[in-house]
Order: sequence, then C-alpha cells, then structure tokens
Amino acid sequence: MKIVAEGLGVRLSGRVVFADVAFTWSGPGLVTVTGRNGAGKTTLLKVIAALLRPGRGALRWELNGVGALTPAEARRRLGFAGPELGLWEELSALENLAFGARARGLAWSDADGTAWLDRLGLGDRGGERLATYSSGMKQRVKLAFAMLGEPALVLLDEPGSNLDDDGRVAVATLVHEVAQRALVVVATNDPAEAAWGTNGVAL
Amino acid sequence: MWWRWGLFLWMAVVTVAAFLYAPLAKKLYEQTRIIYWHIPVAWVTLVAFLVAGWQSWRYLATRDLAADARAAVAMELGLLFCGLATVSGAIFSKGMWGSYWNWDPRQTSIFFLLLVYAAALTLRAAVEEPARRARLSAVYGLFAAAVTPLLLFVVPRLFFTLHPDPIVNSAGKLEMHPRMFQVFLASLAGFTGIFFWVYALDVRLRLHQLAREGAWTGSGKDRAA
Amino acid sequence: MTPGSAAGGSGGGGGSLLGTAWAVFAKDVTTELRSRYAVAATATFALAALAVVSFAVGPFGGRAELLAAFLWTVILFAAAAGLAQAFVREAERRTWLTLRLVAAPGAILLGKWGVNLAVLASIEVLVVPAFLVMFGVEFRSLPAFLAILVLANLGLSASLTLVSALLAQARAHGALVSALAFPLVVPVLMAAIVGTRRAFTEPGAWPPEWRVLAAYAGVVVGIGVLLAEHVLDD
Repeated sequence: MKIVAEGLGVRLSGRVVFADVAFTWSGPGLVTVTGRNGAGKTTLLKVIAALLRPGRGALRWELNGVGALTPAEARRRLGFAGPELGLWEELSALENLAFGARARGLAWSDADGTAWLDRLGLGDRGGERLATYSSGMKQRVKLAFAMLGEPALVLLDEPGSNLDDDGRVAVATLVHEVAQRALVVVATNDPAEAAWGTNGVAL
Repeated sequence: MWWRWGLFLWMAVVTVAAFLYAPLAKKLYEQTRIIYWHIPVAWVTLVAFLVAGWQSWRYLATRDLAADARAAVAMELGLLFCGLATVSGAIFSKGMWGSYWNWDPRQTSIFFLLLVYAAALTLRAAVEEPARRARLSAVYGLFAAAVTPLLLFVVPRLFFTLHPDPIVNSAGKLEMHPRMFQVFLASLAGFTGIFFWVYALDVRLRLHQLAREGAWTGSGKDRAA
Repeated sequence: MTPGSAAGGSGGGGGSLLGTAWAVFAKDVTTELRSRYAVAATATFALAALAVVSFAVGPFGGRAELLAAFLWTVILFAAAAGLAQAFVREAERRTWLTLRLVAAPGAILLGKWGVNLAVLASIEVLVVPAFLVMFGVEFRSLPAFLAILVLANLGLSASLTLVSALLAQARAHGALVSALAFPLVVPVLMAAIVGTRRAFTEPGAWPPEWRVLAAYAGVVVGIGVLLAEHVLDD
C-alpha cells in the first residue's frame, strides 16, 4: 500500500487540528506519527483510515498491482487499533474476532481465532466476555482485530498502551513481522515505539 | 434596489385589490380575503421545503458548506412561513367553523410539517462540527422531503375534512372568479418574491461568515481523487 | 504470517452487502440476548404504559376508534424508546468507528434495521395480547390486523433506524429521537390506526390502508439505500 497526502488539513468544531500535512509512504514498512497530546495524531489516523474526510487537501491510497482505491475500498483493506476503536464487551474475544472477519467476508473458523489469541498470550480465555478482561488484555484483542485478514495497511494508535512488559515485547515482535508485508503506521508518544521505524510525520 | 420598491408596491396593490377588486366567494363570505394570504404563505412553505431539499442534495453531492448554508436558510424561512400558514389557517377556521383548532386533517398536516421543520433545526443545533452538522441535516432534510408528500397528500384522505377543495380540485376544474384568480396569482408571485429576497439576503450573510472562517470545505470532496 | 493467513488472502476484504448485514444482525442479536437491554427496557415501558392507559380509561374502554389509537400510541412510544438503542449504544460504547471500519454503511443500516424489526416484533408479541386482555377487545378480522401490523412495523422500524443513525452522531441523542422521528412517522401511525380500527369492526375485508403503509416503507427504505453512505460517512 502506498499513501500520498497533499496539503492535508482537518478542522474540528472550528479548531484547526492540523493544516498542510504532506507525505508519501510506501509499504511494506513501518512509519511513525509523533507529536504531543492533542497534536492530531488520532485525527490523522482517522483520515488515513477513511473514517474522516479532511477539510483541506487530498489523500490517495494506492495498492500495488491494483491502483488507486476509493475511500470505501481503502477502508476494507486496512486494520486500525486505537483507544477510540472499542470492541463489543458483551462478546467474547473469539466472537469479536469472528464478527470482524465475517463482516468483511473473510473465511473464518474458531481455530483461526485461537491461533491469534495464543500468539497474543490469551489462548485459554478466548471464550470469555470482553467485559471480564483487564484493559491490557482488551488491548491485545484489539491488535488482533486490526490484523485480521492480512490488511495491506495497519494503523496503530498508541499500540503499547495498557500493556505489561510481556505484552509490549509480543506486540513489538508482531508489528515488525507485519511490517514485512504491509505498511504499518504507528502513532505514539513512547520513545521506544517511535524508534520502531522511520518518522513519517511529526505533528 | 429598484425591484425592492417594486415588490413593496406590488404587495401594496395586491393588498388593496384583495379588499376592493376581488369579489367574495359564495360560501366563504368575508373569509375569502384570507385566501390571498393563507394560500401563498402555504405555497412559500412548500417552496422553501423544496429549496432546502435541493440544497441538501447539493451539499451531499459536492460537500460544499455554501450549499448547507443555503439549505439552513431555506429551513429557517420555511419554519417561519409554515408558522404563518398555520396561524392564518387557524384564523380562517375560527371565522368559518367557529373554533381556531379542530384537528382537521389539513391542520394536522401543516402542524406536523411545522414539527418537521422545527426538528430539522433542532438537529442542526445538536451538532457542533460544521461538516457533520451539514451532512446529518442534509440527510434528515431529504428524508423529510421524501416522506412529507405522504403527510400532505395521503394522510388527509384517510379522514374526513372540512377544508375547502384545493384550488384545482380533483375534477381538474378551476372554481374561482377570474378577478379572484388574478389577485390570487399576483399575491402568489409577490410572496414568492418576498421569500427569495429574504432568502438571498440571509444567504449572503451566511456566506460572508463562511468566508471569514477561511477556505475550509469542512470535508474535501476530492478525498477520493 | 501464520494466524492471519488462515483468515483469507491478502487484503481481500469486503463481504457482500447481505453477508455483512447478516454479521451485524447476528452480532447485535447476541449482545441483545446477553444484555436484554433494548427489549427489556422497551417491553417494560410498553406494558406500564398500557396498564396506565387501561386504568385511566377504565370502563369507557369499549370504543374501537379510541382503542386502535391507544394501541398504536403505546407501540410508537415504546419503539422510539427502544429502537434508538441499536445505534446509540455503538456510539456510547465507542464501537462506532470499529463497526464502520469493518462494515459498509448500507450493510450497517440493513443489519440494524433487521435488529430493530426483531426488537419491535418481540415487544408486540407481549403488548398486543396484553392489550386485547386488558381492554377486552376482539378482532373481527385477525389477518387484516396482522397485515397492518407487519407493514407498519416495516415502515416504523425503517424510519426509526434512519433517524437514530443520524442522532447517534449528534450530541444529545436520546432525547431527540422522538422529536425527529414522530413528525415523520405520522403517515404510518394514522394509516395503522385507521386500518386497525377496521380490523376491530369490519369482518373479512382487507383494510385499504395497507397501500399507504407499503408505500411509506418503500419510500423510507429507498431513501436509506440512496443515502446510506451519507448517513454514516464522516
């Protein structure tokens, strides 16, 4: 996936969140978005995820071998995990993942889900409702959700939040692995995470 | 400038003509005069509604906040004229049937149209983000525009009505004295002129405000480009 | 990458409209069955309203015109209270963006409409028999009533789904649902009341009001299809 932004600006409720952001990112690889709190990292990720229209400028998604994508097509081919993207608390981790896969028309079996949860260290609790999980465990499920179906673009907003040391190591390994085949964009304030890849944009 | 004076003169002549030139309709007595006020005002309500619907559609197609400003102005003026139509209708009702309000299906329809307008403006007040407000308002406006024909033309037929036949009745015949019809048409044109005058004025004001806030489209139409 | 590779090929996302709508519907039914939030709140409300009306009307409760109006007023208020939950809850639980990311707007609307139809039907399964018992009414024509009920449900739930989808994105969602939806569902309410009155009093015949109800449902669904992208797409 290749993303080209030109003169991107967003204004929310009369306040300019950011103006004139430009970049060209090509995947596979890992780029970071940095900036202080309130600088608009999450907003930028929402724009890249085609969940928010920019008030100025334009954003293009290009998939290798396919060409330019419409926002709706781009949305279907990307994964996004962040504090503003919650999962369904009444459902178990496995059911959440199954819903994400089925909604996107991906083939799915519980074995797929179990494989994911094992990998993130949640194997034996996959059948329990999310409401019973700690915030760190929820964060792991969110990351798995974002990577369903091998999306060509993965957006991670503060991926290390609420995670213990084991979790951070697991996520770092996972992210680097995904970055081998997809474009991964990480928005973070954490210096360790910021060092994962090249700095794509500092807001 | 000159046409505003023209409009003023036009309406002055219409008002005088309504009392001195046009004859009274047979069964309506002095209440006849209200025709030249009530029906044009109701007509403008409908025109405002159509303008709001059209501009809503344009907003969704172009995501240009100017179209949203026009839709908002049309909605506000529509609410005003709808209120005038409701009140003038109630006065007519008092004169003809002895009570201001009797839940006649026509009264019910116009009252609900009033509620639709008010609801659309309430929705606008409940959203702060301009682009989102414009989008939600446009969708609601179009939804309302699609449903109101049922409200205005189908619902009244489900019930017995006291309301006089619409100008062109179901038989397709025009039942109005030629002089009445002349005054009526002149009034219709006058009120339509007043509407578009105020509309243009208010739109100009809003566009100034938009321009002052900068060249933000709120949401770029070229996102997919 | 091992776990992901099991779930479909590279980036080939995008289920069919019906498949995705079904996934949304199934997810909502599961969460509703576990929390019983919408149905419990709405059914309790409807039964309480019926009891109050029945008590207030007392011995005068015999007139078909009034009874049909009572029934539909109660259903309308219960629906306004309950059906908005489908969208409002996604907004309150911060699952809104996740939902929009995995499902196309049209599929979300369709799935939620299905959920709301199910919620409405399950309320009516409780309310209608309770109504018949409390007021001691009998239908002259039960099939006619059922036809009116089904058609009115289609239009009512479609309208409320659309309005609550809009309001879930506004600030004061809960309180505004009735204000925004009621003026627009008047055609359904009126036609359903007149049709139900006929079913109470006239044996056999099909109430002609079914046409109004069908036309209304058609118009609302058409608008939903036409504007789906704009309803949900920021």
